[in-house]
Amino acid sequence: MNPETVQHLRRATTEVFETMVFRELSGGDPIEGEALRSGSNVVGTVGFAGSACGLVAFYSTLDTARDIAGAMLGLPPTEVNGEVADAIGEITNMVAGSFRTRMAADGDAWAISVPTVTIGSDFFIKPMTNGRRVLLPFRMGAQEIFVELIVTKSRDTTSGEGTS
Amino acid sequence: MRFLVVDDSSTMRRIIINTLQKIGHQDCVEAANGREGVERLAQGAVDMIITDWNMPEMSGVEFVRAVRAMDSHAHVPVLMVTTNAAKDDIVEALRAGVNNYVVKPFTPDVIKEKIDAVLAR
Repeated sequence: MNPETVQHLRRATTEVFETMVFRELSGGDPIEGEALRSGSNVVGTVGFAGSACGLVAFYSTLDTARDIAGAMLGLPPTEVNGEVADAIGEITNMVAGSFRTRMAADGDAWAISVPTVTIGSDFFIKPMTNGRRVLLPFRMGAQEIFVELIVTKSRDTTSGEGTS
Repeated sequence: MRFLVVDDSSTMRRIIINTLQKIGHQDCVEAANGREGVERLAQGAVDMIITDWNMPEMSGVEFVRAVRAMDSHAHVPVLMVTTNAAKDDIVEALRAGVNNYVVKPFTPDVIKEKIDAVLAR
């Protein structure tokens, strides 16, 4: 994956968390390919289409998702219940939207979908076409979150390897 | 001063209403999409609308066009709060009748600044 694209996604994620969740994130090394995310049972996804197609996915545990929702709403995590899915959907929407804006500045024009959130256990998203994927791990204090970019159709700016 | 907050995310509606209340605007009503927003306006006047763009059933831009076609709310100030931040998006929103634009993620200061700017016009 193009390092500039990965950097755009990293900056979009940290900005959303600093501004809307009031948490600082520290980022680990990006993992290319089909990486495992142990214990992630809340998954938010937003699709995009245009000069490239694919999706942005957010992963966390349910406890972390509850913590994030509480921080956004000004509630203690113990008082958060039904709001988790909506809050994670909005986080994923903002990360994907901010990423889209940064890619647009590089000449990539995309439309993005409304978010979808799934809550269960240990998901793995498998695109139906061959896609390139990069997983960004972040630490939020003692908690771990992941943001993944899956590109199923691309031009050079996202893949770094030319149109596929 | 009564605000109508239109967003399909209940989390974002709560964040915006919390922000409005923190800066002294206690009277807020809400709707989950543009269609509900139109229905809410038919029930009574509001002084300012804050709307998202990407929503099911009726988008924010379609909603703003509908508002501008209503005799009762043709001139009500509209602030759009959205992740759509490309130049073409902003031009489209302004052409539809949006008065000012906030890009998510945002701080309470930005919301206050944009509301003040709209009200000062």
